[in-house]
Amino acid sequence: MNAEEIRAAVKRAISTTANMETAQIGDDASYKDDLQLDSLTILEIAVGLEYEFQIKIPDEQLSEIRSVGDTVRLIQQHLA
Amino acid sequence: MKQPRRMERRVVITGIGLVTPVGTGREAVWRNLLAGRCGVAPVEAYDTGELSVHRGAEVKQFSAKDYLINTDAETVGRASQFAIAAARLALEDAGLAPDAVEPERVGVSMGTTSGEPLEIERFDDRLVNGELGEVGAEFMARYPCHNISANVAGEFGFGGLNILIPTACAAGNYAVAYGFDALRAGRASLVLAGGADPFSRITYTGFARLGAIAPELCQPFDRNRKGMIPGEGAGVVVLETLAGATRRGARIYAEVAGYGLSCDAHHMTAAHAEGDGAVRAMEEALRSSGTRAEDVSYVSAHGTGTPTNDRLETVAVKRLFKEAAYRLPMSSIKSMIGHTMGAASAIEAAVCALAIQQDCIPPTMNLTEPDPECDLDYVANEARGHEVNVAMNNAYAFGGNNSSLVLKKCEV
Amino acid sequence: MRRVVITGAGVVSPLGDSRAALHAALCGGRSAAKPLELFGDEKLGCTLACEITDFDAQKYLGGRNLRPLDRTARLVASAARLALEDSGFGVETLAREAVGLVLGTMFGSLRTISEFDRRALTAGPTYASPMDFANTVISAAAGQTAIMHGLRGVNSTVSTGASSGLQAIAYAADLIRAGSARALLAGGAEELCFESFYGFDRAGLLCPSNNSAPVKYPIPFDARRGGFLLGEGAALLMLEDASRARERGAHVLAEVKGVGSAFDPSRGKDDGKAVAAEARAARLALEDAQLQPASIDCLSASANGSLCADRREAYAIADVFASAARKLPVTAVKSMLGETLGAAGALQVVALTETMRDGVLPGIRGLEETDGDFPPVVASPQNRRVDVSFGLVNSNGFDGHSSSLVLARPSRR
Repeated sequence: MNAEEIRAAVKRAISTTANMETAQIGDDASYKDDLQLDSLTILEIAVGLEYEFQIKIPDEQLSEIRSVGDTVRLIQQHLA
Repeated sequence: MKQPRRMERRVVITGIGLVTPVGTGREAVWRNLLAGRCGVAPVEAYDTGELSVHRGAEVKQFSAKDYLINTDAETVGRASQFAIAAARLALEDAGLAPDAVEPERVGVSMGTTSGEPLEIERFDDRLVNGELGEVGAEFMARYPCHNISANVAGEFGFGGLNILIPTACAAGNYAVAYGFDALRAGRASLVLAGGADPFSRITYTGFARLGAIAPELCQPFDRNRKGMIPGEGAGVVVLETLAGATRRGARIYAEVAGYGLSCDAHHMTAAHAEGDGAVRAMEEALRSSGTRAEDVSYVSAHGTGTPTNDRLETVAVKRLFKEAAYRLPMSSIKSMIGHTMGAASAIEAAVCALAIQQDCIPPTMNLTEPDPECDLDYVANEARGHEVNVAMNNAYAFGGNNSSLVLKKCEV
Repeated sequence: MRRVVITGAGVVSPLGDSRAALHAALCGGRSAAKPLELFGDEKLGCTLACEITDFDAQKYLGGRNLRPLDRTARLVASAARLALEDSGFGVETLAREAVGLVLGTMFGSLRTISEFDRRALTAGPTYASPMDFANTVISAAAGQTAIMHGLRGVNSTVSTGASSGLQAIAYAADLIRAGSARALLAGGAEELCFESFYGFDRAGLLCPSNNSAPVKYPIPFDARRGGFLLGEGAALLMLEDASRARERGAHVLAEVKGVGSAFDPSRGKDDGKAVAAEARAARLALEDAQLQPASIDCLSASANGSLCADRREAYAIADVFASAARKLPVTAVKSMLGETLGAAGALQVVALTETMRDGVLPGIRGLEETDGDFPPVVASPQNRRVDVSFGLVNSNGFDGHSSSLVLARPSRR
């Protein structure tokens, strides 16, 4: 799976959970500053992606997620 | 100056019943809390295997049949068993034989977070295993959370008001507040008020998924605190009017002087960043009880041990108490009994009453390294003799629910 | 003593989403019962329910992100929006004043609780949904609604089975009388979901739907009745301190004149004790309202078609009203709305305010002959003209909870 596909999946997850258009989500959008997502929504998105990709991200790494970019990188790491 | 309340309009605590991870019964629990005994151990209720956390605060060696005389223990859920036991202990502690009271004037006001979750867990096990047909009439008879209050009343034959307030981690305070108001309005002569929750995989899984559970210990206000430890139990207090208690020569622990409830209206699981709602609840508790901030002797904190709660709670206390915050002992017994959910603030209210009666404050255990952001007096690691005239019990719940209860030495 | 008035209501129900629509449907004898669409299972003996078809909360809540809210929370938040509009509470008022919310609900969202648990069981706890977990607490809907609408006052939830909604209104009224609050939304909500539906079905309480079942619909008090049907919905009333309502020139629908509740310590197992508790609740409400039974002009019964519950209520009515029962018209809206559990008592209160307004008491749909097994109840399938100065609402739970509320028509000036 390449980065683009992962990014698309991440944007889809944000779109469903936060009720926004994928077009509104920048490639490296910051969850808090750009998208105004709260902590519970961010966690929900992250867990949904863990499920989709069947990976398990340790809590410490999960709590470091700040942006779409972070998320894509983390998923890539765990898929590798 | 505010008019002093008539004795019919003043409410006191005359009995305490406790079922906790550090023992059952007021004496045992209080003794263990003062000794800093910790009830945290590897979870036995179910297999936490797949999670990264495995410790909880469970009630050990609890024999329901010892306390359920008129109720078949097999027919009710675990929360109900705890609640009935705590109610029986509270009535005994108050020196009240159940048939010495007018049953239609005795109210039951209980709080909970998940009610009887083991029943829905069993339902789910069956559903997932394709055995839904095994579910019978017992599911609807046992599961609904109102059964906790119903079962308490059923055990003793009480026919007065009966309510279940499921406001999660603040439910105990809400239940006591409800009982307080009911007595003052003359809707009951006696109220058994408190909270109960059993250990539950739903609760444990949920908090684990939020990253909120500590791997080893609950360390409220400590620099290295890592989270809460889910627990279980029940706390019930006997509430009556001062007039009623005086008439029968009851031993009075403390007076319930007032309370405050508010809602952050901000976030489901995270408290308001400046503690707005928490401050308003405390302010209302002080106002309604006719107390000045500087008169508070002790605060029983919500103190779950999560990095966020303890920091924000400290912020809120400083905002309200200002300079006096630095002279105000504040401890969290969750350091010892974990977070008993709906029972928590009921057990903590009882502990405040005992602190007032005995002029002694339980410690916050496991506080080994102070956190610069939490720089108040948390009564670290050792119980303290201290004149406690006014105690404030704070509890906060999902949905941004904030509650503060004020108890005082009862002066006639 | 402070008086408590109702200055608005929000309703989301299978018979409409306004007080007027609900009343028109009830007076038109419309039943909300139809085949289940929300879920299904071949093991269900009952396949009918009073479902809100195509419930779309977005319609009431605009473009807000509703993903964090489950069905129960959406019902409550929608009813809250409608109640705030109906009572004239705008954003500026809510910013200035801490308005509270007291919600009655029997289950919260049992669907959310069960789905959270099942996902953890089947996919593993690592993949359990954090958002769902926040909604597993029974107080979640009240919390979500407070966040959505900025309700910063007392936020509480009451769970006493089918009497939850009325108990919540009583709780809120008492807060206002005690001076702890000046304005509160109060009422109840319940969603239809497979898990609770199945539980009731297995308990044998629902009207069976198979072809040989004589009665597939709920007919309260009827000799042929054979159980109830479940419904869903939410109803919230704006309760205010009467002087606050007067100060702002609010339109008053009714006054909450008295409340009372009692418990049957046999938990529903003993007829005598059950009837005594219901009678006690009604008497306490009347005492609280400082009224004699004969002053009550109509009664909104809790009766839902259950063999046992309807009979007990009839006995309790006879016990409290004695000879006055002969002139007391009784309605049972659950004949059309179904048993909406936490929402029931609140929906009954809303319906009664409408009856007070236009003088029409809905008939009991499908009623042919009241059961001779209990004292006669003045009930009819036809609507009745009634001049209601005072009305009584009964709301009884399954395990011993009983509550009653006296409504007074606002006095004409």
